[in-house]
Amino acid sequence: MQTPQKTQSLRPFKQRKSLATRQEEVAGIRAKFPNKIPVIVERYPREKFLPLLDKTKFLVPQELTMIQFLSIIRSRLVLGATEAFYLLVNNRSLVSMSMTMAEVYRDYKDEDGFVYMTYASQEMFGCLGSEQILPSSPVHVKNQCSNLRRDGPSPVCVVDNPVSEAAPQ
Amino acid sequence: MESTGSSGRLWELQFERSSGWRGAFTVLTDSAPSSAELQVPGSLAAAVVKCRVELAQDDSWRMESVLSKYENQITIFADYLEEFPDSDELVWILGKQHLLKTEKSKLLSDIRARLWFTYRRKFSPIGGTGPSSDAGWGCMLRCGQMMLAQALICRHLGRDWSWEKQKEQPREYQRILQCFLDRKDCCYSIHQMAQMGVGEGKSIGEWFGPNTVAQVLKKLALFDEWNSLAIYVSMDNTVVIEDIKKMCCVLPLSADTIGESPLNTLNASNQSKSAPASCPAWKPLLLIVPLRLGINQINPVYVDAFKECFKMPQSLGALGGKPNNAYYFIGFLGDELIFLDPHTTQTFVDTEENGTVDDQTFHCLQSPQRMNILNLDPSVALGFFCKEEKDFDSWCSLVQKEILKENLRMFELVQKHPSHWPPFVPPAKPEVTTTGAEFIDSTEQLEDFDLEEDFEILSV
Repeated sequence: MQTPQKTQSLRPFKQRKSLATRQEEVAGIRAKFPNKIPVIVERYPREKFLPLLDKTKFLVPQELTMIQFLSIIRSRLVLGATEAFYLLVNNRSLVSMSMTMAEVYRDYKDEDGFVYMTYASQEMFGCLGSEQILPSSPVHVKNQCSNLRRDGPSPVCVVDNPVSEAAPQ
Repeated sequence: MESTGSSGRLWELQFERSSGWRGAFTVLTDSAPSSAELQVPGSLAAAVVKCRVELAQDDSWRMESVLSKYENQITIFADYLEEFPDSDELVWILGKQHLLKTEKSKLLSDIRARLWFTYRRKFSPIGGTGPSSDAGWGCMLRCGQMMLAQALICRHLGRDWSWEKQKEQPREYQRILQCFLDRKDCCYSIHQMAQMGVGEGKSIGEWFGPNTVAQVLKKLALFDEWNSLAIYVSMDNTVVIEDIKKMCCVLPLSADTIGESPLNTLNASNQSKSAPASCPAWKPLLLIVPLRLGINQINPVYVDAFKECFKMPQSLGALGGKPNNAYYFIGFLGDELIFLDPHTTQTFVDTEENGTVDDQTFHCLQSPQRMNILNLDPSVALGFFCKEEKDFDSWCSLVQKEILKENLRMFELVQKHPSHWPPFVPPAKPEVTTTGAEFIDSTEQLEDFDLEEDFEILSV
């Protein structure tokens, strides 16, 4: 598993620049590279496993398919073939892998002229009670920090009281 | 009721393990209620109070442990445990449909027949010094076990096999069950899964996601000679037909003959079918498609496609859950998903002296649980089982028809291996874990030059 190299929490691109600035930027770059699609790729803020990309803005050939683009980002992050990696457009859509960038741009571009993509792995599942189990075991350290970052409804599962673990057989 | 002495204790233990608790809520059980069931008061609150009082006289450890069990159950009730409504709706369970109104008992027994794996405690410590209980962390691993067990049931007993309490079952049933006991020598035990997870970057006791569990099962299956399953886990939402065929087509004189299934079934199907393209012998395929159907909640555009998967005859359901809690989804009713929940801690069960396993705690006898599909955590993995090549071919055409028709495809099915991917290597028993090394090659197609501020310009 990779740990992110950069840990500074950047605000999302959209929040760093005003709409006017972003529109200007797109207009400028589109004039210079009319055949390339301006794409913003950001990591899901609550992502715990994937590293940060060193770039946010990409100019992508319009004939590139999503699956090719995905592979490029995967290689940038130096991910193994078995690591879960998902690229979602506008924070919700898993666009078809066979779509070209031009099609993605046509269907999903923002009002500022960029296409916004977010990458994430998969969520992990377990109960928050897990820290209580076997405090002596050193292997439980990792998931404690991940617990803190969970949101969503408070967990409802109740694990066996640790007292019972220690009870005589 | 007597609550002191050993008889009281006995009652508790039975209560803890048997279906007694469920008796109060499931009217539709076929079996006659046991004595424990009769003693359960009709109201849940009353039941808890009664237990509290009775148990208070017993030792406090026992009380806490038993109470926590009930709390466990209570949360389950809060999670939409009510009976199926009387309606004309269709319920889909793992590729089979049941008409709710007229086939309710058939439906319930179909669900009960699934192997149910839950948290367990008091098994031998994982790795010798590790945890002896998976309560709190093993739920996704248990869901993975349930999906694999369902694949093995389909392989050896068939989708239509049904289970009845205390009825003698085919030999294969016991053998399947024994693959999953919490012992290090069982091929898909919690021990094996947790330890194989280390290769996926998960230390023992760490939480798994659906993809993690799929990757772990893929590796463990290589050591399972009895079943000789081929497990394919898709990458980047893309299932590649060519790769699957490569993986499943084995030469006639291969290890497949070791399996339990008589060779002549394979031969027979070959002779009757003269299609030249079909391969001489097909390794039973477990196909897992890990997906992320949204960022922090499921994108509703995928709801129909997701439900469609439970209708396919090849369906093994889906691994997933709601935030933090992993569930094994086996079907749906309207907009509600039906699932098996591993969040109950039971005590480790071993084989008995006669070599069989008491399977009572491995079937979920309570009313099936349901949740609204929109509460689904977007991280899921779909499972399918294709025993023969023709099953896979028909799965492909079903996917073409039902999944790829959508404007937003939930996943892709392609014939050829994408040219920019690293070459497909069927999994082999490896010691090394995958690194990113093979992927670095593909960067050669990229030319980097930073001319426009911090834009990164990609070219083909």
